[in-house]
Amino acid sequence: MKDLLPFDHRPDPVLGNALRRALDPGDATAFVARVLARAEQLRAASWDTVLARWARAGVAAALLIALAAGYLVGHASATPAPQPSVADALIAPPAHPGEVEIVLASVIENP
Amino acid sequence: MADAGAPLPPSPTPPPPSQPGQPAARIPGQDEGELVARAVAGDRAAFGTLVDRYAGVARRVARAVLGNPEDADDAAQDAMLSALVKLDQYDARRPFGPWLLRIVSNAATDRRRRRSVRRAEPLDVGLTAGGPRPDVTAERRALGERLRQALATLPERRRIAVVLFDVEGYSHAEIATVLGIPEGTVRSEVFHARRRLRALLADWKEEG
Repeated sequence: MKDLLPFDHRPDPVLGNALRRALDPGDATAFVARVLARAEQLRAASWDTVLARWARAGVAAALLIALAAGYLVGHASATPAPQPSVADALIAPPAHPGEVEIVLASVIENP
Repeated sequence: MADAGAPLPPSPTPPPPSQPGQPAARIPGQDEGELVARAVAGDRAAFGTLVDRYAGVARRVARAVLGNPEDADDAAQDAMLSALVKLDQYDARRPFGPWLLRIVSNAATDRRRRRSVRRAEPLDVGLTAGGPRPDVTAERRALGERLRQALATLPERRRIAVVLFDVEGYSHAEIATVLGIPEGTVRSEVFHARRRLRALLADWKEEG
């Protein structure tokens, strides 16, 4: 316990040991176990948060997809199929060869 | 965060505990960068090893700030968990101890500011008057109580500085990192703390 210089670079073993005993927190086993258990809880909580975030995003995406699909299906059924015009019927290749000739013959005979 | 009374789930691969009372001095940090990297990657055993290595110093520093051992353990636990969250911010080129102890001292300081710290029990009259000391254990307990009370009268920064220097063996430069103050200020803080505590120890010896 000698007088030391103000800026002594060496630790004081006597004071250090006395302080260590004064601040001794006891066995670390319980403390370490407590910290690790809490860390596990935090990890689990963070995973729950991630999964919950994903679940919310998944539900939102599914809703959007369902809405879009419903809109497309509804739109498609609401639009009437276009009826072929006479011109289309004439231009289109005949389903049964000879039909066109019959049509043309009837037009020529009945001007 | 004081969940000491709650039932604890089984600890995941707990590391071997420190021997109580073993000299803390400097903690070897050669493989700490690797341990931190493994802990960041989710290796629970690596984090457990770090917690075990630094449990003693973290609890002592927190107790130097807070006085009350339960508060100190809560603060040390908060700091460890905060460090776990921030591990990916740790620069592996720097020593791990000062980085962690900065978090510990901040956690202890924050806790002290947030709550009114329970006052230490007043000293027994027989102890303060140098009364009968039946055995060494009682003597040490009384001296410890005196030292804790003397520590409590010091400014917070001074307490941390002297504990890290004389108990834990950290250098002035490392303590400067922990406290975020110039190295010269650390030297001054250590000096003033020592002067106060040595006077107390000298009085104690004279009384004995």
